[in-house]
Amino acid sequence: MAQISFFSVALKNLRRKPFRTGVLVFAIALLVSLLIFAISFTVSVASSLKKSSERLGADLVVVPVGARGFAEEFLLESKNTAFYMPISIIEKVKKIEGIEALTHHTYLSSVSGLCCDIMPTRIVAFNPKTDFIINPWLQESLGRPLNLGEAIAGYGTSENLGLGLLDIEATIFDNRFSIVGVLEQTGTGLDHALFMTEENLQNIIESGKSPLKKGEISIIFTKIKKGFDPDYVGRVLEGEIPEVDVVARSNMGGKFLDTLADINKIFLLTTFLASILTTFLVWAIFSAIANERSKEIGIMRALGAKESHIVHLYLVEVTVLGLLGSTLGALTGTCLSALLAGTFSLLKNISAGLTGGQQIIIALIGLLIGTAICITGAMMPINRIKKMEPLLVIKEE
Amino acid sequence: MSLLQIENLTKTYTVDHTSFVGVDNISLTINKGDFLSIVGHSGSGKTTLISIVGGILKPTSGRVLLDGTDICTLNDIKLSEYRVNRIGFMFQFASLLPILSAKENVLLPTIFTPGKNVADEKTAMDLLELVGIGEKSNSYPSQLSGGQQRRVAIARALLNKPDIILADEPTGDLDEDTEAEIMNLFEHINQKYGVTIILITHNLELAGKAQKKLRMSKGQLVDI
Repeated sequence: MAQISFFSVALKNLRRKPFRTGVLVFAIALLVSLLIFAISFTVSVASSLKKSSERLGADLVVVPVGARGFAEEFLLESKNTAFYMPISIIEKVKKIEGIEALTHHTYLSSVSGLCCDIMPTRIVAFNPKTDFIINPWLQESLGRPLNLGEAIAGYGTSENLGLGLLDIEATIFDNRFSIVGVLEQTGTGLDHALFMTEENLQNIIESGKSPLKKGEISIIFTKIKKGFDPDYVGRVLEGEIPEVDVVARSNMGGKFLDTLADINKIFLLTTFLASILTTFLVWAIFSAIANERSKEIGIMRALGAKESHIVHLYLVEVTVLGLLGSTLGALTGTCLSALLAGTFSLLKNISAGLTGGQQIIIALIGLLIGTAICITGAMMPINRIKKMEPLLVIKEE
Repeated sequence: MSLLQIENLTKTYTVDHTSFVGVDNISLTINKGDFLSIVGHSGSGKTTLISIVGGILKPTSGRVLLDGTDICTLNDIKLSEYRVNRIGFMFQFASLLPILSAKENVLLPTIFTPGKNVADEKTAMDLLELVGIGEKSNSYPSQLSGGQQRRVAIARALLNKPDIILADEPTGDLDEDTEAEIMNLFEHINQKYGVTIILITHNLELAGKAQKKLRMSKGQLVDI
């Protein structure tokens, strides 16, 4: 076996000018890391929205007129807001054709110092008999129903409140509560709430510290029967009950998605410009390489190299270069995505983590695109190299 | 026994709308095992002639027949195969790749013949021993003298057991002693292995060491 190959010659060529090779690898790595960060950001936000919306389990969200904005961003928002409508709305909603099941929540805003000894938090009271939003998570986390005077913290709330330990006592609207646990992370705005059953509301209303009045609720979640279009049922609901706004699950996070689309455009433009710059850099460097090594190429041609051998040799070189830069960029981009996710307010309110499979796919996409851009930039100089007349370049001084 | 037949070979160049004749209607027969030298001034057409014979330059007209095949009609792939299998090139300058060691330079043609019965490291070492620099096999061109680099180039030219070695001023920038050593090496290779050698030089004394001597002038061959 011969001890040299196209690969070994290409590697030796790359080692010939380490600084130049380093600059190219760095440029490709920068491009790929930018690309991977952009894709990771977009995919994580989009998939988190999808997961959250699926996890919610409700097809339609019904809120008082004027609270549509909250309902649309319900999956993501952790704003400490409260709004109310009469409980009688539930009966009206039930009568609409296509409604399979419904449950309701009542929201309260805690105000530190005035009513409560916890940080300002959205408090959610739910009906344990009808609930299909909180009960499944409660079952997973606590394994039993909540009793009167008990509350359970959402995943994010526990961090905000500093609740590392269970069985913490807290005063909420002049009532003592035991915070008996922390719910699993859901990736929705509900992660930033404190939950209790609605049987506690009577005592809270009597305390007079809350704007909530008897017979008021905040939001109704509905499931739609199979075969019915949620959007259609939502329109019917709004038509039949003028006091409410209805948002279908598919429209949740709309404002967020609009913002995301704008961010995507910026990422796309930046990545496009970076790709052009990198392609140009590779082209310039390989043009210089073609001039530098023209005599060597002439010698190889005289020794029997076909045009395809010359192309092969330089393609191996540029591919190794592209793969090196892309691998470095993929690692950097993946780490950056993980590290910087926490610093983006857009990502703070959602569970932005990508699965391992998604990360691998994104890294592979970055690897492929980085290498392809590198090859594209080098193709023109490589084509010029292969067409060099051996005798002319050998005789060049 | 005839190995190479050159028939009415002409090569003209056009520069700035003016034509120059590099090789002017040359016909020549070279037998297997010949050691032929061609002398001539710069610009007389020597390099053009062996470049056409070596398949790195296309003639304007005429034929170069090797075993009855006109190499001037071959496409890039066939021409490359011809060069790698039947021709050993030596140039006016040290034609080694600086990134490869002496042994790797000798083995360089093997990457252009993948899948074939290519020469191995032992063959390369034997050739380096033959040219007298076996101990320098791992040295890089920058660590070798001009004479040693020429020896590596000779070893490389011999690797694929070529029919013909085309040597274009192979001792151009060497001192007299080294020049003589390289010429002795050519003679040895020619006599021991029967390889046909076509040597281009402007040095009449060196040309005298070949069995046959020709002179080129203005693109034409003239007997000395």
